[in-house]
Amino acid sequence: MFPARFPIAAASLIVTLTACSAPGQQSGKQAVATGPIKVANINAQSGQLSSLGKWENKGVKLAVDEANKAGGVNGRQIQLDLFDDQGDPTVGTNLARKIAGEGYVAMLGTAESAVTLAMAPILKDAGIPNITSGQSPKLAALKSPFLFLNAPTSVTYDETLAKYLVDGKGYKKIALISNNGTYGAGEHDAFLAALKSRNVTPIADEAVTPDQKDFSASLTAIRQKNPDVLFVGAEEVESGLIAKQARELGLKAVLAGGAPMGTDVYVTTAGADNAEGSVISSPYLSNDASQASKTFSASYQAAFGEAAELHGAKAYDGAKILIEALKQTKGAGGRPLADAIRAVKHDGLLGDFAYDGSGVGIHATQIGLIKAGKIVAESAG
Amino acid sequence: MKRLILLIAAAVAAWLLPYGLGGYAIHVVDVAIIFAVLGIGLGLAMGVAGQINLAQIAFFGVGAYAVAILTTRAGLGFWTAAALALLAAVLVGLLVGLPALRMQSHYLGIVTLGLALAFVNWITNATVAGRAEGISDIPVPPLFGVDLASEYLFYYVELVVFALALAFALFLTHSPLGRRLRAMRDDDLAAGALGAEIPLLRMTAFVLSGLYGGIAGVLYAGLIRFVAPETFSIANMFLLLAMVIIGGRRSILGCVVGAVALSLVREALLDVSAYAQLGYGSVVVLVVVFAPTGLAGLPARLRRRRAAGARAALGSFQPYDRVHDREDGRTDGQARDRVGADAVADAGVGSGADLLEVDGVTMRFKGLTALDQVSLTITAGEIRGVVGPNGSGKTTLFNVVSGFYTPTSGRVLFRGREVTGAAPYRLSLLGVARTFQNLRLFGDLTVRENILVGLDRTRTRWVWRYLALPWSVLGFERVLRVRADELIDRFGLRDFADAAPRALPYGIQRRIEMARAMAMTPALLLLDEPAAGLNGEEVRQLAAIVRSIRDSGVTVVVIEHNMGLVMSLCDRVTVLSGGKVIADGAPADVAVQPDVVAAYLGDSMSAPSRTAAEPADEPAPESAAGAATESATESATDSAAEEAAR
Repeated sequence: MFPARFPIAAASLIVTLTACSAPGQQSGKQAVATGPIKVANINAQSGQLSSLGKWENKGVKLAVDEANKAGGVNGRQIQLDLFDDQGDPTVGTNLARKIAGEGYVAMLGTAESAVTLAMAPILKDAGIPNITSGQSPKLAALKSPFLFLNAPTSVTYDETLAKYLVDGKGYKKIALISNNGTYGAGEHDAFLAALKSRNVTPIADEAVTPDQKDFSASLTAIRQKNPDVLFVGAEEVESGLIAKQARELGLKAVLAGGAPMGTDVYVTTAGADNAEGSVISSPYLSNDASQASKTFSASYQAAFGEAAELHGAKAYDGAKILIEALKQTKGAGGRPLADAIRAVKHDGLLGDFAYDGSGVGIHATQIGLIKAGKIVAESAG
Repeated sequence: MKRLILLIAAAVAAWLLPYGLGGYAIHVVDVAIIFAVLGIGLGLAMGVAGQINLAQIAFFGVGAYAVAILTTRAGLGFWTAAALALLAAVLVGLLVGLPALRMQSHYLGIVTLGLALAFVNWITNATVAGRAEGISDIPVPPLFGVDLASEYLFYYVELVVFALALAFALFLTHSPLGRRLRAMRDDDLAAGALGAEIPLLRMTAFVLSGLYGGIAGVLYAGLIRFVAPETFSIANMFLLLAMVIIGGRRSILGCVVGAVALSLVREALLDVSAYAQLGYGSVVVLVVVFAPTGLAGLPARLRRRRAAGARAALGSFQPYDRVHDREDGRTDGQARDRVGADAVADAGVGSGADLLEVDGVTMRFKGLTALDQVSLTITAGEIRGVVGPNGSGKTTLFNVVSGFYTPTSGRVLFRGREVTGAAPYRLSLLGVARTFQNLRLFGDLTVRENILVGLDRTRTRWVWRYLALPWSVLGFERVLRVRADELIDRFGLRDFADAAPRALPYGIQRRIEMARAMAMTPALLLLDEPAAGLNGEEVRQLAAIVRSIRDSGVTVVVIEHNMGLVMSLCDRVTVLSGGKVIADGAPADVAVQPDVVAAYLGDSMSAPSRTAAEPADEPAPESAAGAATESATESATDSAAEEAAR
């Protein structure tokens, strides 16, 4: 019996000794003043939203590479690490904890609002500033001092769009088709609110799923109402499919939507003829809009061998702002970095960034039209 | 003692683990524990109870979402919400389990999968569930001032919950209820005939599954403090399924090992997650093909390979104590005296009361009339033979009497009570036991457990004790085990007590099935071709056993093709042909009736006659051969009919 009891006694001794102090990580954020500055880029690299995630990563990478080539931040290089959130908020929360535990000072991404929303409380607790590419109004509603958007919220996009369509063009017969994913639902709610404030009730309001491919049932129902405008709240490929199938069904309505419809993916998926005349509300209409965007698209083309588009541009803007703020704090993270980001006034590709208390930096979008497969700014709103 | 040391070592290791882990590693461990709890729930439903449940991830979601909605929308405290969430998960478990009452196997899989999809659809679209964005800002669970926002401290909460959940699951699987669940998994018809309330057991399985899903959901809500539809997707259900299959679904510990292992592997593969799914898929296929019992089954498989040989022998049967002392003091050796003139006089011997009365029973299967106005009365204390050519309705008659079939018309009375169409478990609890023509032993239970299933005479509503009075269950189990040992010794099965029945020779399996039926301490024992496939010596032993059983006060009805055995063993014989009773009386009288002879003409067996009615220990070679072929053909048609009746 004795040999059996000995380990028990020994074990209980260890337990009593160690139980005095609760386990925990020894103050995770050791202020390293040398070595590279660790910045995490979290974006979907697999799954349905991986194309978004890849664009975003290219934009971020371009900005960081440029900064490193120019000598980094106070002589320190920026180490950019990419993590795949698979578009899954739970994976996002895991990654938030991972970067918090591994000494990253800031995070760029994600393109999916749901993932950012899930990560926000953890990053806030860990004191890691996050510049996201999400645009759900709920992000702004969090009012986290550590969360910043690199683009306007859906409210801005859709308010601009509704103003153009209803106030400017006088359309009243408006139909909606949107998916029930985070982006689609956000667009739907924001556009509906913008219409409601103008006393316009949509004549049709169809919901689809983000992975749907055949929309003929919804579109046939919409066609019977014969709308002037069909608002599309969906990501690039789905928007393109909807546009294509709408035209094939003989739907003549003006197609309108947010940023996804201003991309090449939309135009090629829909076909240039079907996309013709689509009305887009976007802060970044084309690579040729300004000198800055021309420079950006040229370096993007040189670095990745493909044309730049909105997602790369906004991620690039976000990364630029972060680098600017890091220079102010001399590479330090935490609350000072968050305050520095808020203070940055950046003349970016998407507009002039000036952050407010809710973390939104841009409050305007432009209206563009697709003409012959290319997006053209509509001068008079 | 060794077990205790292992247990304590494991507990200490678990207690000290957080001290060696970083902030992220502890998070990974926290998530792994949640999946382990989920895995236990799935293991209980799928592995133990055999219910294909692809809605486990939905139970998980119900638990997590209920906490999220109740805390953020209704403003309830975390633990109040948690209690309600468990209740909700159990109720959803009941709801999802309802189809299991009507369908099984892959059909059940499809239905539960559909319900899981419906759940994901609902949370993606319902405003109250936050739609695609999910619900954030779930409050930190308060616990006497301990800050559970720290993942290290939350780990200890999880550890305690997990230890309790695991202990309860292990207790359950090794208790009479768990044994019944496993028996139901292996063969639900036989389990029903042994007194297991199949519908209630199936619901129990789903309730347990829901409960564990709910517990995991509550822990998840407390840990992540955010819920979104993606977490409860079908892809994650597959992951969970992979955990359970890789770990070994029939072992609860295997499920835990699988869940923890795959959680860690998933973490390691985070950077290549695009291909990880492919990897899990391949591993699952490999496991299913090469190690169907999973990781948990590997040690046993290796051991079995090594321990081949050392053939055990069937022991001799120890007769029961006699209840009705026969006036002539007959022993087995004198049995042959009863054949012939004496048998007529003997036929009425017994306690005299009618035990079973079949009154004008007709059984039709879509145009086929298997039984046509069959009436017969079995007197308490007799051995009744039921004979007849193939397809004459003998097994159908048994199925009606034991409750598998509800007759199209007619009545069945047992001890004067009408039991027509009563469920098999009800009849079993009333005292009707049966064996099956084509052996229905529980293949994955040991011989001892097979017998224990028969010994357990409790109703399923007894289950409240498992939660309220677990020690009384342990006491009950101890009593059962003592009685099981007695039975094992009586039937000479000592050497095989811990073997799996399907690995044993046919004759031994027949003996086990009879022991299992006798474990029910029945008043009426129905034996369906007990001599089929037995050799001469085994048939002789069988006759001795059946007589001893009758002498202990059990009435026996036996379907048999071995005419030698029937003639020597039975007090009365009922002859069926074409679903009708064509003769009923003492064996010697019946054998010479012209109808009976006609019914057997053209059959491979010669018509039984006084001269052919030899004692059981010397069966005529040609009749044995005939019995073998007949039983083969009849078992095929009967099992088809049983399938149809399900």
